[in-house]
Amino acid sequence: MSLRCLLSDELSNIAMQVRKLVGTKHPLLDTARGFVYDSRNNLQMRGLVVLLISKAAGPSTAELSFQHNMVSGIYSSQRSLAEITELIHTAFLVHRGIVNIGELKSCDGPLKDMQFGNKMAVLSGDFLLANACTSLAQLQNTKVVELISSAIGDLVQGIYYENSKSSEENCLTDDIGISTWKEQVFLSHSALLAKSCQAAMELAKHSAEIQDMAFQYGKHMSMSHKLHSDLQPFVKESSSDTVAFSLNSAPAVLHQEFLGREAWIKQIKEAQGKGNIMDYKKLQEAIKAGKGVTSAIDLCRCHGSRALAALERFPPSEARAALANIVYAVTRFP
Amino acid sequence: MNGAAGGAERPRLPPARGRRSSGRSQPTSSLPPGSAGPPGGSGVRGPAGRLRARGPCRRQEGSQCKVCHFTQRSSTFSFPKICNIFWRCSKTASDEKYQDPFQLGRKDLKNLYEDIKKELLVSTVELKEMCDYYFDGKGKAFRPMIVVLMARACNIHHNNSREVQASQRSVAIIAEMIHTASLVHDDVIDDANSRRGKMTVNQIWGERKAVLAGDFILSAASLALARIGNTTIISVLTQVIEDLVRGEFLQLGSKENENERFAHYLEKTFKKTASLIANSCKAVSILGCPDPKVHEIAYQYGKNVGIAFQLIDDVLDFTSCADHLGKPAAADLKLGLATGPVLFACRQFPEMNAMIMRRFSKPGDVERARKYVLQSDGVQQTTYLAQRYCHEATREISKLRPSPEREALIQLTEMVLMRDK
Repeated sequence: MSLRCLLSDELSNIAMQVRKLVGTKHPLLDTARGFVYDSRNNLQMRGLVVLLISKAAGPSTAELSFQHNMVSGIYSSQRSLAEITELIHTAFLVHRGIVNIGELKSCDGPLKDMQFGNKMAVLSGDFLLANACTSLAQLQNTKVVELISSAIGDLVQGIYYENSKSSEENCLTDDIGISTWKEQVFLSHSALLAKSCQAAMELAKHSAEIQDMAFQYGKHMSMSHKLHSDLQPFVKESSSDTVAFSLNSAPAVLHQEFLGREAWIKQIKEAQGKGNIMDYKKLQEAIKAGKGVTSAIDLCRCHGSRALAALERFPPSEARAALANIVYAVTRFP
Repeated sequence: MNGAAGGAERPRLPPARGRRSSGRSQPTSSLPPGSAGPPGGSGVRGPAGRLRARGPCRRQEGSQCKVCHFTQRSSTFSFPKICNIFWRCSKTASDEKYQDPFQLGRKDLKNLYEDIKKELLVSTVELKEMCDYYFDGKGKAFRPMIVVLMARACNIHHNNSREVQASQRSVAIIAEMIHTASLVHDDVIDDANSRRGKMTVNQIWGERKAVLAGDFILSAASLALARIGNTTIISVLTQVIEDLVRGEFLQLGSKENENERFAHYLEKTFKKTASLIANSCKAVSILGCPDPKVHEIAYQYGKNVGIAFQLIDDVLDFTSCADHLGKPAAADLKLGLATGPVLFACRQFPEMNAMIMRRFSKPGDVERARKYVLQSDGVQQTTYLAQRYCHEATREISKLRPSPEREALIQLTEMVLMRDK
């Protein structure tokens, strides 16, 4: 995230106000904490990928005069774009942390705190988005503005689907097949990176083919990343505590596809037992026993291969190797 | 009427056209002291006698005192009624055909809301429903109206073309979308439950989805903006998005010093309300005419009208009742906001200072503040200030070539002052 942005009055104002949320249960606090302590080192991954792909694509073949603006093989506009991507990603992390006032229970704490947290979340998310828009305008490239604006629209729709699932208490899982799952995950997890990679190419005036390759890399790498993340509860060595997992994660969705919906619902109910408390360990065993997990791993690797294939079109370089390493990392399973 | 009004004016009812400045905005030092009224444009000297309003000029160091060359004396404030009579009378005396601004712009705006909905292409039924919710044609469409009229006025000024370009019409659409997106978020921030006579988006669908809907509308506006294909226009309108957010932040903070407070209030008002109108006017002027002077005129018109609009809005929060407004009244006080009427009232009732500083948070504060305001001349002062901004807007727009649209934009400044919701 840009230093200029971080040092702004508005964000210090927000930081001061967010302190008031300490001790409450508003999700914004977790989001903010996540910015500082990100144990999985996912901080600013998207920005990094945009920078790497800019570097991997090299200077523009179209306009030689363009090259003055390059520092370490990256144009300043591309750097700015990497920042913009991070700003947008962060803005939506923050906007995801809004609570529905109407659904609050007394155990959530005072209403005032939640309203205040919402206010801060909306404002800070908006602030980040506004900064992103301003920086976008400064790029003076309408095609890039179009691409990134459409990516924001995709992201909103993707998060909307995420929301719809989590809010349904009774029906814990959607009746969606893996192809629908892929469409929705593309929107919420891939579109932003894919389109940013493409936009980075556009900024350097690379050909439509290179732009498409960058898009494909961004898309497939993020899909692998999401699948990898969904698989974690199922591939780790079994420990005494089983963490709750989303019933709409890839292994579960694939499991349902193989098993059929009725049998799946039956398994869920069996795992719920009395009092509707989910026994995640039991459900996890059920899923592991089926084909969902191996299927998800296959899918992850498939997307990984497609990402690598897209990379082939770029000339060999350290940057390209780094991008390949990212793919290896997100397709590795114990 | 002549002598009594003390005017150096001709002895006839100034026509609506005559409300504009050209020649009227001269310093009234040429008039006998004590007889000067509010600045030319919207000022009236009718048969009802002299009308002067008390000017806050001396005391408003923080605000921009634009046209305050005249001396102030105490007044009876009966401006609205007189102006109303005046306005109707002036129709007959006017040389140009009186045109209702909304009629003039109607053709261009006919399918505005339909077109906006087309921009909001989204597959999920519910999300679409939420985004479409405010584009039901029941809003005032005040901003698109100004944009379209300004577009024509600039086009005519440049090359006598009365047609609105497609890109200019897009600007009107984009402006309305940005405005609505900010409304949706504002309602979540303020935890509002009604707007435009119906429930808010957050009330019906919850805060989480409401925020997403606002984001979506904004992204769609941004996409439409990019498609115009003009990087200057993108920059001009993106400035609005930034200003809107900064305006909200300004609202979070408060100033201790009385003079700072007023400047702070005006700055917030500019960012939250006027910037959108000013910059959309500027954008269509850029699209219609290459002369930077015209761009500046359009911007200044939009800025002044925008500020006046908000000032009247703040007044209505005190003078109107909830049913008529379509949203709850005294809303600003309940949000802890000290608007124009309050800031003026505070001068007469210094006990309000403490309440302002604690943002009317103690029980009974809102009621007390409200009473103080209604007892004071806060409402009149704010309205008078709005008049001055309108006059300035009129002065600016009068620099353009005459046209029905230019007249309509002037009429619009009157309508801003006359509105009751």
